[in-house]
Amino acid sequence: MKKRSQSDLLGRSLTWLSGGALALDLLLVIALLAVLAVNGLGAFWQHKLVRLTLRDGTRVLGEIHAEETIPEQSATRMLVKVGNRELTALDFRWIDEANIATREWPEDATLLERLEWGNFYGALVEIRRGGSVLASGPDEVWSALGPLRDQKRREAKAVHELEVGPIDRVNRELERLRLDARKVARQGLAKEEEARRVTEIEHDVAAKQAVYETLTAELASRRATLVSETVIAETVDGKRKEIPVSQIVRAIQPNRMGTAATMGLYASRLWEFVSADPRESNTEGGIFPAIFGTVLMVFLMAFAVAPLGVLAALYLREYAKQGVLVQFVRIAVSNLAGVPSIVFGVFGLGFFVYGIGGSIDALFYRDALPAPTYGTGGILWASLTLALLTVPVVIVATEEGLAAVPRIQREGSLALGATRFETIRRVVLPGAAPGILTGMILAMARAAGEVAPLMIVGMVKLAPSLPIDGEFPFVHLERKFMHLGFHIYDLGFQSPNVEATKPLVFATALLLVGVVVLMNLVAIIVRNRLRQRYTSSAV
Amino acid sequence: MLAPSRALASAQETTARRRFVDRLAGIVVSAGGLAIIACVLGILAFIIAEVWPLARGANVRTASSTVIPADAAGAAIADEYRGQSALLGIDGVVRFVRASDGRVLSEKQLVEPSCAPLAGARTVPGASVFTAATRDGHVLLAPVKWDLAYVGSERQVTGSIAEVVSLEIDPKSQPIETYAATVDDRGVVNVAAAVSDGSLVLIRRTVVENAITGERETSLEKHATTLPQSLEHLMLDRQGANLFGTTAPGMILWWRIADGVPGVPSSLPVGDAPVTAMTFLVGDRSLVLGLANGSISVWFPVRQPDQGFVLTRIRDFPPQLGAIRLLAPSQRDKGFLAQDDKGRLGLYYSTSHRTLWTGDSPLPRATALAYAPRADGALVADGGHLVSLDVDNPHPEISLASIFGKVWYEGGERPELVWQSSGGTTDFEPKLSLVPLLVGTLKGTFYSLILAIPFGVLGAMYTSQFMHARLKRLVKPTVEIMAALPSVVLGLLAGLWLSPRIEKAFPSLFLMAIVLPLMVMAAGVSWERLPRGFRGRFPIGSDAIFFILVLAAGAALCVALSPPTERLLFGGSFPAWVRATMGLTYDQKNAVVVGIAMGFAVIPIIFTISEDAFSNVPRSLASGSLALGASRWQTVTRVVLPAASPGIFSSIMIGFGRAVGETMIVLMATGNTPILSWNPFDGFRTLSANVAVEVPEAAHGTTLYRMLFVSALLLFVFTFAINTVADRVRQRLRRRFAEA
Repeated sequence: MKKRSQSDLLGRSLTWLSGGALALDLLLVIALLAVLAVNGLGAFWQHKLVRLTLRDGTRVLGEIHAEETIPEQSATRMLVKVGNRELTALDFRWIDEANIATREWPEDATLLERLEWGNFYGALVEIRRGGSVLASGPDEVWSALGPLRDQKRREAKAVHELEVGPIDRVNRELERLRLDARKVARQGLAKEEEARRVTEIEHDVAAKQAVYETLTAELASRRATLVSETVIAETVDGKRKEIPVSQIVRAIQPNRMGTAATMGLYASRLWEFVSADPRESNTEGGIFPAIFGTVLMVFLMAFAVAPLGVLAALYLREYAKQGVLVQFVRIAVSNLAGVPSIVFGVFGLGFFVYGIGGSIDALFYRDALPAPTYGTGGILWASLTLALLTVPVVIVATEEGLAAVPRIQREGSLALGATRFETIRRVVLPGAAPGILTGMILAMARAAGEVAPLMIVGMVKLAPSLPIDGEFPFVHLERKFMHLGFHIYDLGFQSPNVEATKPLVFATALLLVGVVVLMNLVAIIVRNRLRQRYTSSAV
Repeated sequence: MLAPSRALASAQETTARRRFVDRLAGIVVSAGGLAIIACVLGILAFIIAEVWPLARGANVRTASSTVIPADAAGAAIADEYRGQSALLGIDGVVRFVRASDGRVLSEKQLVEPSCAPLAGARTVPGASVFTAATRDGHVLLAPVKWDLAYVGSERQVTGSIAEVVSLEIDPKSQPIETYAATVDDRGVVNVAAAVSDGSLVLIRRTVVENAITGERETSLEKHATTLPQSLEHLMLDRQGANLFGTTAPGMILWWRIADGVPGVPSSLPVGDAPVTAMTFLVGDRSLVLGLANGSISVWFPVRQPDQGFVLTRIRDFPPQLGAIRLLAPSQRDKGFLAQDDKGRLGLYYSTSHRTLWTGDSPLPRATALAYAPRADGALVADGGHLVSLDVDNPHPEISLASIFGKVWYEGGERPELVWQSSGGTTDFEPKLSLVPLLVGTLKGTFYSLILAIPFGVLGAMYTSQFMHARLKRLVKPTVEIMAALPSVVLGLLAGLWLSPRIEKAFPSLFLMAIVLPLMVMAAGVSWERLPRGFRGRFPIGSDAIFFILVLAAGAALCVALSPPTERLLFGGSFPAWVRATMGLTYDQKNAVVVGIAMGFAVIPIIFTISEDAFSNVPRSLASGSLALGASRWQTVTRVVLPAASPGIFSSIMIGFGRAVGETMIVLMATGNTPILSWNPFDGFRTLSANVAVEVPEAAHGTTLYRMLFVSALLLFVFTFAINTVADRVRQRLRRRFAEA
């Protein structure tokens, strides 16, 4: 038997210690993803509704969200979501375990998800239209509510279409006429000519105004029908509340639902989350505009970053002679990668927004000034700023791809009489394509998660319209946009009701992390394929 | 078929075209490569160009020079758009003069000609009000009103005198030696005057409007005392609470006035020469004194621990050539103009202690000097001329000393380092010291590196030197994904999830620091002791899973042990213990939380580059060492580690650079309070987070906007230096081993 010396034992334990450091790194990643997954995926799960009777006789109906031990005491307390924000001011309430006398799970406890004021918890009493009662009693109301709500949803859709269709068009026409009027005033035409043009414009304005008035009258009447039916519901402490049926997004009786129904609800909420517009200053509803904005911004950025990154990598690998200049380019690349992203944001604000954007406004959008068109943050400026930020990623990956193409292939092509450019185009670039692809994917993943520079050059918490729509010229690069990363920051830290938005924030974060991780995995796999292909074919 | 000659020609043509395309492609590709340099230099140049105006001084140019009546120039006031000037002449007439040609647009006689000439014609600092003393012992206040109207798109300003307040100082009509008069926003007039018989008279005039009848009732309070010495100049603040007077031998007296009655004055020497001019800066707290020997100094009351407020000399400006005759404060910032009797004019700024401009005054014997309301111009007038000056002075409040050094702000007890960019009042003094932000940046970086360096470097060492290759292929992508996690998500978890949990179980962090290493070492050594046959039954990498499980169990144990530890050592609550025993603050979002979150972001950077450095050490070195009988651990620590150390150093540098510039984590996981403290339980604000916080307030071209570019420049230059050095170190290391 060998005898291990004292120092060898120390060495071995220290080896394990360094192994432990690595294991902890991995544990951190796992823990982070787990925390996100638990909090994010739990967001859409419907808990049963519990009715608590407290020792002082008050009753509380809601969902139990968390339990914890009270610091410095052995008692526990729970966080109950009680909703009914307009009545109770806060939709969450801490309740000490010790104060609870009884717990019940009433069958007819109903949860109404509403467009305004968040969730309502209580019992259904009746449905009314004007002064007459359409249905009364919990069961009758419950069965009548479904079809009525579907009808109201169709009506609401029609109202919405009226707003974004004809009314919006008339509004745009009026705005265009206003700008025309300013243009006429600015042009300094002859007196009669100017007067003629002004009358013309005024005539047009009057006509459009009339159309506008008819449309708004129709809108008003449709809106009135929309809210004509109301549900009377009663909270657990006996307060009655009248809620227009059109305000109800979902009516649920969770305590009657089986597992399958709960799963279905979960799926429907998940779908709403990714496909719907946000409500209630982003605290409810979906995040579709943020997903759309992120994707569009990332693709715009990809268009800008691809040529620059690939050209720079070609220069470094294929064209430049090793020398001082290449050294400088390399230093520049490593610095572009190392300079904090917020610096790019400040640069983008000064250069793109105020510099280029301001000049574009002064040249082409003078009539709209002082309201800026391009001279304010927008999706184009955001994507260009991010292109600068991500160009090193593309360069490094492309270089690796170029380096992997064996020398023999190039020499073969050159020996057959191809020029250098032809060799690169036909032989080197196809070989390096996976490298370029890796770089692009990594750059896009980076851009999707980057927030700091975008806060400065173009994101808003709530963009009124998407950057692509049916209005000419269809793609509006000057528009502000919503972004997943900024949405997380805004919801988590600028929201008036942080507790209520927490589930949504975590869900958004999970989605973002999921996308970023997926893109990175794809990039890693593509890169490994590339490496393997040439390690096996070379020799 | 083509004829041979034609085929040749076409082939030559094709070759020429191909050559041309080849050359063109070469140019385009090279341009693409150089574009990267252009980007970096362009960004740097642009940022510097945006910062540059801060360093520039001011420029003062004559805009127009006009002729006015000889007696007209007792005091001057410009309107906001500088189209008109109001002049109070010693003949008792206020004249409204057009700036462009000097034409008198309207006049108003303030006093009977018998009461002229007026003495001490001047304006109330920071307000458009003329004041003067008459020969028969009255003090006049004449507020100037500017009415704005638009005719078409043309702006028309009309000046007028609304209501002249004339207060009788001395019933016996003795001459007034010197006086000070002010009026506040509610129309309360305060006057202090030294009469030739040696008495000091204080008058307060209040107008109360009856809300129902609309009747206005005027009440006068008057108080007279005997002066200890004869006074040269008087200055009274707008509340009528502080009265300053100077005497011929160069003393300054300060009365605190309570209920209209002055207390006992405190007196201080101001210098070797008599005071020749005195004024308040906007806000009526800072006093500017100009002396006969040309010296200019700023004073304000400072609270001393046991003596109450003491008038303190705050700063001195480089002296002018002659006695300071005229001082004109700005109405919107802490700047002022001064003219001496040698005809030199100077533009100064109190907070930044800057002399922005000095030059010859267009009117060397000027009798009136006024700063325009928007601080973009000035008026100088003498007996017969009125000159309007353009003042181009965009960023007077910034100097190297004011952004990096301690500045004594108004109302402060001592010079301080403060960042506070905006305030509620118009006379707010912006405090733009970058030092608290720099300290915040270093603090956040420090705590994150404490965590990231050991985990990153040790993890890399283990991966590169001890780990099975197949496992390595799993670990490296995981670390890459760790690096790719958006910092906004890390910030979210740190701010919303981690910080309340850490507050609740802070001692678990101490426990983990002790327990986890011990557990790992114990687990490792016992794993080794297991019979080889038993171990061999598990697939490669199960030891890694085993370790992760051990760690997770250890961490859970520490969290579980936290409450008893907290009870035992910290009296039940760690935050309360920090507050009570250590006398520090404990914020939920503090430097420790940021350290953990940002450490998480930095670990993969350090890991990847260190791993690279370890792997680049030639195998032959390690093999040699092992062949000589050294153990694995000895080989790694004595041979591989020293060889890889430059690479590890550069990995730490790059990690450092990343932590310095990280924005979202800090923004979300600290309270963003720009306080100067090294306490790990405090929040802080970093340079980068500051940019994100302040950008919505910073309008294009303002001082704050340019200060954000200063922050960006500092970050850029700092990370540029770090990255360049790190890059050189790595390149050199790689070359050395390539040769070996």
